[in-house]
Amino acid sequence: MIRAGPLIAALLLAGAAQADELRLVSPNEIDYRELEIESENSAATDGGRDYSLDLGTGVTRWWHLGAEFEWEREAGPGNPTRLDGVQLESLIRLTEPGEGWLDAGFYTEYTRSDLHGRETPDDLLVGGVFLKDIGRTTHTLDLFLDRPFSPDEDVSGVRFSYTWQSRWNLWRQFAPAIEAFGQAGRIDRPDGFQGGQLIVGPVATGTLLLGPIGKLRYEAGYLFGATEASPSGTVRWKLEMEIPL
Amino acid sequence: MRFAFLLLFCLSAVAALAGDEPLRLVLHEHKFTPEQFDVPAHVKFRLLVKNDSDADIEWESDELDREEVISPGEERTIYLGPLDPGSYPFYDDRHSASKGVLIAK
Repeated sequence: MIRAGPLIAALLLAGAAQADELRLVSPNEIDYRELEIESENSAATDGGRDYSLDLGTGVTRWWHLGAEFEWEREAGPGNPTRLDGVQLESLIRLTEPGEGWLDAGFYTEYTRSDLHGRETPDDLLVGGVFLKDIGRTTHTLDLFLDRPFSPDEDVSGVRFSYTWQSRWNLWRQFAPAIEAFGQAGRIDRPDGFQGGQLIVGPVATGTLLLGPIGKLRYEAGYLFGATEASPSGTVRWKLEMEIPL
Repeated sequence: MRFAFLLLFCLSAVAALAGDEPLRLVLHEHKFTPEQFDVPAHVKFRLLVKNDSDADIEWESDELDREEVISPGEERTIYLGPLDPGSYPFYDDRHSASKGVLIAK
């Protein structure tokens, strides 16, 4: 068991080399009295890479706070990987899991992007996150609005994005799912379906128990581009360690 | 007539499970009591989990998509269902040898 620590750290750091905006948030993921260390990554066929490392905990049973560091490599040859932003995240659970017909939460994320002299604007994202368990399946739908703080009229404006996942809770170690991540562009200038990004595909999820260290959750999948503006393929993987406090 | 009474009795039992009276589960010395119990399929119900040990527990079931941290001496209500018929394992995430199974029929 002692050897598992360095192995997990290596896995998390290996992952920490990708996450931009493939964001899946469950309203029930509060991690109360646990420390969450999460590495989320995606690599697109156009060469784009996103990596993130996230630390968070449930401050109360209904409020989760986290900080995330994001690295990005833009599509195209020769582009460097660089720290793209630092985020503060807040998730407030609005319902008791399973009590009503639908579980709901309110998610907020502020990204500080003005790093290393870059002129990327900061960004505020808010959204409703929803979950419905049906039998042995879990369905999650996230609806986000975000606004970059830029004086440039072409960059600013409120944008809409969404995430959907349906998971079959087959076993602890392996639960297959289908998911979709979409970006519809500015709500005052919609891109149209083909102009927006939409990637869809299968994903494997599961949990490995590591005794007193906690547990390791994983997700890995391949997402196909469904519109002309989307990369034709994106590999997404995530490792999340939950350590009891 | 007998059949009607029998049907009424069964429906009442199901309604009791789905209504105000929660099912109770206690963890004591790393053992759930009961370790296995039946619940009606296709009905919502409440599970009242009591931590009768001297350390935090985390009641968890991946198949039910639920986890709940419970302090020593504390009781927490977990809302479940409607479930398809089948077996739904649960365990204490802090001591994974402590486990049980809920069977929906």
